[in-house]
Amino acid sequence: MNYKFNFLEKTHKINLEKADDLFKVIINDKQKYNISDVEVESNLISFKADDKLYNIYCFSDKDKMYLSIDGENYVLELEKDKTTKSKTKQQKGNSVFSPMPGLLVKIPVSVGDKVKSGTTLAIVEAMKMQNELPSPRDGIVKKIIGKEGEQVDALQVIVELE
Amino acid sequence: MFKKILIANRGEIAIRISKACKELGISTVGVYSTIDKPSLHLRYMDDIVWIGDSPPLSSYLNIQAILEAAKKTKAEAIHPGYGFLAENEKFAKACEDAGIIFIGPDSKALSLVGDKVASRNTVKKLGVPIIPGMAMITKDLKKFKHAAKDVGYPVIIKASMGGGGKGMRVVYNENELEKSIAAGQREALSAFGDESVYLEKYIEQPRHIEFQVLRDNFGNCIHLFERECSIQRRHQKIIEETPSPALDNNMRMKMGEEAKKVIEASDYTTAGTVEFLLDKNKKFYFLEVNARIQVEHPITEMVTGVDLVRQQILIAAGEKITLKQDQIKQNGHAIETRIYAEDPDNNFVPSPGKILFLSEPNGPGIRVDSGIYQGCDIPPHYDPILSKLIVWSENRNMSIIRISEALKEYIILGIKNNIGYLKRIINSKDFAKGNYDTHFIDEHEEKLFPKQEKLDIALIAGALSKQAGYTKSESDFQKASTMKSTPWQELGKWEICSLS
Repeated sequence: MNYKFNFLEKTHKINLEKADDLFKVIINDKQKYNISDVEVESNLISFKADDKLYNIYCFSDKDKMYLSIDGENYVLELEKDKTTKSKTKQQKGNSVFSPMPGLLVKIPVSVGDKVKSGTTLAIVEAMKMQNELPSPRDGIVKKIIGKEGEQVDALQVIVELE
Repeated sequence: MFKKILIANRGEIAIRISKACKELGISTVGVYSTIDKPSLHLRYMDDIVWIGDSPPLSSYLNIQAILEAAKKTKAEAIHPGYGFLAENEKFAKACEDAGIIFIGPDSKALSLVGDKVASRNTVKKLGVPIIPGMAMITKDLKKFKHAAKDVGYPVIIKASMGGGGKGMRVVYNENELEKSIAAGQREALSAFGDESVYLEKYIEQPRHIEFQVLRDNFGNCIHLFERECSIQRRHQKIIEETPSPALDNNMRMKMGEEAKKVIEASDYTTAGTVEFLLDKNKKFYFLEVNARIQVEHPITEMVTGVDLVRQQILIAAGEKITLKQDQIKQNGHAIETRIYAEDPDNNFVPSPGKILFLSEPNGPGIRVDSGIYQGCDIPPHYDPILSKLIVWSENRNMSIIRISEALKEYIILGIKNNIGYLKRIINSKDFAKGNYDTHFIDEHEEKLFPKQEKLDIALIAGALSKQAGYTKSESDFQKASTMKSTPWQELGKWEICSLS
C-alpha cells in the first residue's frame, strides 16, 4: 500500500508492504526500514524500526495527524486536493491575515495608502502579546475588513492589497 | 485563621492556591469569565462565581466584580495569584476599604514597590546598587530622549507597574524610541491597566537572578535563596533553576541580605521577590521587587521544603514566621520549565485552540502544576501559560537529565507548544555548562530550530495508523464532540424579553 503525507509543505510517499510478521517500508523511494512488533491503538502506536523500539502518542483529526516522538511534535497532513491549496496561497499574497485568534488593536493604515513590504498593516493582540502584521509586499491598501477593537479569528483577512 | 478565601485568578496558579487553602482547612471560591466556564481551575474550588465577559478588563481585572463576588460568598480574604490584579494597589486598597484581606503586601507597600521608579529611588538610598535610568514618570518624549542620551543607547523601556516582560522594549537608537514607547504604553495599559513606562540603561549579557523573601507583620524577615531566571524569550522567563550556577556562597549570602534590606525598607509583608541583574563581571544591580507569588516559586519550594503559598496565607492571617534564617538550606537542585501554547519556530506566536490529547509526566522528583485537561480549549484572551514542569534531584546534572526525560513524556497534541523547544535548550551544551545569560535564546536561534530527526518514524507511524483504519475522515473524538449539544443549542436563538 502507498500512503502520502504532507509535512511542512512537502509531500512524502510511504510504501508499506506486509511480509509475514514484518512490514517492509520504503520512504520516498529511498529509505528502507524493517518494521516489527507493531501495536496500533487510537492514541498509541508501538513498533520496532530496524530493531529500535518506538512508542508514539498520536491523535488523528479530520485531515491532520498529530504525533509526539521523544518530546518533539510532528503534524502530518493527509494529502488534500491540490487546486484548493494553491488558491489559498494566492490569496495570502494579496492579503494580511491574523495568524491566530485575538483582538484587533490597531489598523495604522487607510484605504488608498501606499505601503512598502514590511509596513505594519495591523496590530493583533493575543494572550497579552501584541503582534504586528507586516505587509507581504509593496502595494496599495484596497480594502480594510476588520475594525479596531474587534475580535478576529485565526486566518481571518484584515487588510487586502491591490 | 480564615474560613474562606476567594482566588482572583485562573489556570494553574488558581489550582495551586486552592490546594494550599484546602491543606489549611480553608474553603475556596473560584472566579471565571464567560469563556472560562469549562476551565480546569473551577473544578478545584468549593464555590464559583462568574465575574464578567472574556476580555480581562471585564473579568479578571474587574475590581468591582471581584469584590462583589467576595462579599456575596462571604470570603474573608482574596488571593490574587500572579499577573492580573496581583500588584495593583487600587485593588489592594479597595479590599482594605471593603474589610477584605488582600493576601499580599498592603496598598502602601505595594504602591512603593509597584512603582518601579519610586522603588529605585528608595533602594538607592539604602546603598543597594541600581541601574542608571530615569528618576521620574513622564509622557514627555523629550525627557525620554534626554534620559536615553544621558545613560547611552541601548536603553530599555519598561512598564512602571509591570513585570513579566509585558510592555518591555529594547531600543538601540533614537529613531526607534517614539515607536517603542507607544508600543510599551499600549501593552502596559492592556496588561496592568496603567500605561506609565520609564527608561533605563540596558545592561548587556546580563543574568537575571532573584531572591525569594518572606516577611511577617512583626518584622520577622527571611530569604529563601535565589532563582536563576536568565532563559527568557520576549523578556519572559521560560526556564528557571536554583541554585544559580553563577553564584558562589559569598555572593549568595550578600545578595540575600541586600534583598532583605529592600523588603524591610518598604515595610513589605508576605512573600516578595527581589530581582537583580548580574553583569558579566559579576556585579549585581537591583532591578525591581515583584510583590506577588512568582510563576517560578515551586523551584524554591523544592530545594528549601517551604510551602510559599501556605506561608503567604499564614502571614496574611496575622501569624508569625516560625522559620529562622539559619534553618533555611538549599537541598539539591530544582529546574522549572514553563509550558506555553505558542509556536517557538514562528517567533513564539500564541497558539490558542483545543488540546486533543494530553499525557503528563510523573515519577520521582517530578511536579506538574497544570491548568489543562484533554479536550479543553485554550482561549486567546489570556497569558499562554498551560502548565509548569518542575523537577528536583540531588544535583544540577541529575536535574537536567531528569527534566529532559520528563519533557519527552510530556505530550500535548492539537495546539502548538514549546515542549520540544524547552528540551532542545535543556540539552544544549551551554545550558549544561551553566554558561548563559538573558540573550541565550537570540544567540542560539539557529541551533534551537527543530531538526526533524524522527520524520521517517513519524511517517511510518502515520502509515501504520492509516493502514489499521484509525485515520478516518472524521475521528471518533470529533464525532463525539460534535454530537454532544447542550439544551441551549437545541433551543436555537433566544432572548430575554421583559413584558411591561
